[in-house]
Amino acid sequence: MVLADLGRRINAAMADLTRSNVVDEKVLDSMLKEICMALLESDVNVKLVSTLRANIKKKINLKDQAPGVNRRRLVQKTVFDELCALVDCQSEDGDSASAFKPKKGRSSVIMFVGLQGAGKTTSCTKLALWYQRRGFKVGLVCADTFRAGAFDQLKQNATKAKVPYYGSYTETDPVAVAAAGVARFKSEKFDIIIVDTSGRHRQEEELFAEMVQISKAVKPDQTIMVLDATIGQAAESQSKAFKESSDFGAIILTKMDGHAKGGGAISAVAATRTPIVFIGTGEHIHDLEPFTPTQFISKLLGMGDIKGLVDH
Amino acid sequence: GFGFFRNILGNKVLSEEDLDKALAGMKDHLMKKNVAPEVAQHLCDVVSKSLVGRKTGSWTPIEKTVRAAMEDALRKILTPSTSVDLLHEIQRLKLANPPRPYVISVVGVNGVGKSTNLSKIAFWLLQNNLKLLIAACDTFRSGAVEQLRVHAQNLKKLTEREGGEIELFEKGYGKDAANIARDAITYGRERGFDVVLIDTAGRRHNDTRLMSSLEKFAKYANPDKIVMVGEALVGTDSVQQARNFNAAFGPSRNLDFFLISKCDTVGDMIGSMVNMTYSTGIPVLFVGTGQMYTDLRTLSVSWAVNMLMG
Ligand SMILES: Nc1nc2c(ncn2[C@@H]2O[C@H](COP(=O)(O)OP(=O)(O)OP(=O)(O)O)[C@@H](O)[C@H]2O)c(=O)[nH]1
Ligand SMILES: Nc1nc2c(ncn2[C@@H]2O[C@H](COP(=O)(O)OP(=O)(O)OP(=O)(O)O)[C@@H](O)[C@H]2O)c(=O)[nH]1
Ligand SMILES: [Mg+2]
Ligand SMILES: [Mg+2]
Repeated sequence: MVLADLGRRINAAMADLTRSNVVDEKVLDSMLKEICMALLESDVNVKLVSTLRANIKKKINLKDQAPGVNRRRLVQKTVFDELCALVDCQSEDGDSASAFKPKKGRSSVIMFVGLQGAGKTTSCTKLALWYQRRGFKVGLVCADTFRAGAFDQLKQNATKAKVPYYGSYTETDPVAVAAAGVARFKSEKFDIIIVDTSGRHRQEEELFAEMVQISKAVKPDQTIMVLDATIGQAAESQSKAFKESSDFGAIILTKMDGHAKGGGAISAVAATRTPIVFIGTGEHIHDLEPFTPTQFISKLLGMGDIKGLVDH
Repeated sequence: GFGFFRNILGNKVLSEEDLDKALAGMKDHLMKKNVAPEVAQHLCDVVSKSLVGRKTGSWTPIEKTVRAAMEDALRKILTPSTSVDLLHEIQRLKLANPPRPYVISVVGVNGVGKSTNLSKIAFWLLQNNLKLLIAACDTFRSGAVEQLRVHAQNLKKLTEREGGEIELFEKGYGKDAANIARDAITYGRERGFDVVLIDTAGRRHNDTRLMSSLEKFAKYANPDKIVMVGEALVGTDSVQQARNFNAAFGPSRNLDFFLISKCDTVGDMIGSMVNMTYSTGIPVLFVGTGQMYTDLRTLSVSWAVNMLMG
């Protein structure tokens, strides 16, 4: 799948390094070139790639290494660390301690945000079902009053998944629907209330203001940005803007059943220091898988030689 | 003497080495605009070929010469080889004996904006006094039929006073899209509709089962125009998306043009349209620039080139 492809290429470049007897500037440069190409072809942000390259070169600094140093290992470890730094976003919030953990018997609100067509409405239901199967009482609120057929879509999905839902055909104010839906489910002692919102983008200020208002009204315990795995170079600026306005704390990466290598998402993760928590792998309500950074990194780098580095 | 200046400021026969640095910078620039590395490399090769051995103009730096050549290369890729006049083609069928409706269908991957932009095309056709039938052939995604019903209702209200005629043809969910499309066209012909607009379900371009059903669809519906909606947000995957959709309709049928949606969401990073035209030779006719019915434009190639070079 997706990331494995990128991983395979990076791994091949690393293997070349292992094969050559002397590790000199030339070998290092060609390996870095390969890795950077693989990253660029996977939609990783262009600036991010050149920073990565410069960082690795600076850290390795072959000329100044004492003769005793195992150069090959040094190079591998540096590359590994830098790639980790790219996707490891637990650091800022101090690991999983701050991660969202819903409790039964206490209402938690999860709000979905994201660009148009990213897969919010679909992923809402998937997540609702995921929690419901783990014994939580979950309700879905449709606060998308803009898109044609949005409530019908959520309603039909929720019905398929047997998840209670709330929405309105007549109310045009998304803030009002969101508040009413959350209040209803809270009064009925639901454990998790998931709020779906319309698609929006940073270029339209009013849409972002609306998102902030919905957020103020429902006071989410967790805000999730839904991101399409095929997104290209716009990933960084869009996700940064969403981060600033909605302060989302997690990412769901959708359409991972496709061909895309997910590099745009890596850039979004790096730009917002926010972890991916789930991936969407299809259009059906069960096509959702949890996601962990370590898995991501080991997939990215493949196995073999590199594996020993994980355990240091 | 002035050798140094000559080097930078033109009157110089260009070699590959002279161009290397300028082209590397150009490639980076294009990739930042969301042009796929493969496509950016191709463009640089084209530019290199066109310039090696040529003399630069006097007082013209290499960068400027390269820029001009790149603008040319982009313009060539984006400019269609034949022009399409939809309204004219529709009129021709309307006046034919016997008349039949003109059939346009949209295809593309999930969530790119097929249904929304189909509705924008509908609005434009209604303003040109054409009688429209919308066929709801996405029988899979929840709410897809209701989404089109709302659009049809909205559009009717918007154009009613000027005599706009629009109707929805739907058979609910779960049925075969190709059959519904064929029935819709028959219905449209019998009732004197000018245009039948067919919406289809989104599908991943690497999903062989869903992609292969497009061949039957093209055979049954035999649309006058098959429009692939591709979104400006998508990155390098756009190359393969365009290739796979273009190949999905069997050996004797291709896409007719692209509609690139969500151009308002990417600023000047509009490279995905270059990727799609490069990989198929199929032109971009429309661009989507927002979520309203009026947010549809025909592509201005000079606008696109300016965005990409700026
Ligand atoms: N193949 C695949 N398709 C997906 C996945 N997630 C969502 N989709 C499809 O993507 C399309 C858009 O999904 P929606 O859930 O409507 O997206 P949205 O973000 O709610 O869209 P807006 O509300 O219009 O902004 C639909 O066709 C979904 O079936 C996924 O993981 N894989
Ligand atoms: N900003 C912006 N949004 C757009 C544009 N075109 C479509 N959208 C939005 O993109 C989202 C998805 O649009 P749809 O028309 O439902 O996409 P689709 O391709 O039919 O989706 P599926 O049928 O689920 O595959 C909606 O929220 C639209 O409003 C555009 O040009 N600009
Ligand atoms: Mg939605
Ligand atoms: Mg649709």
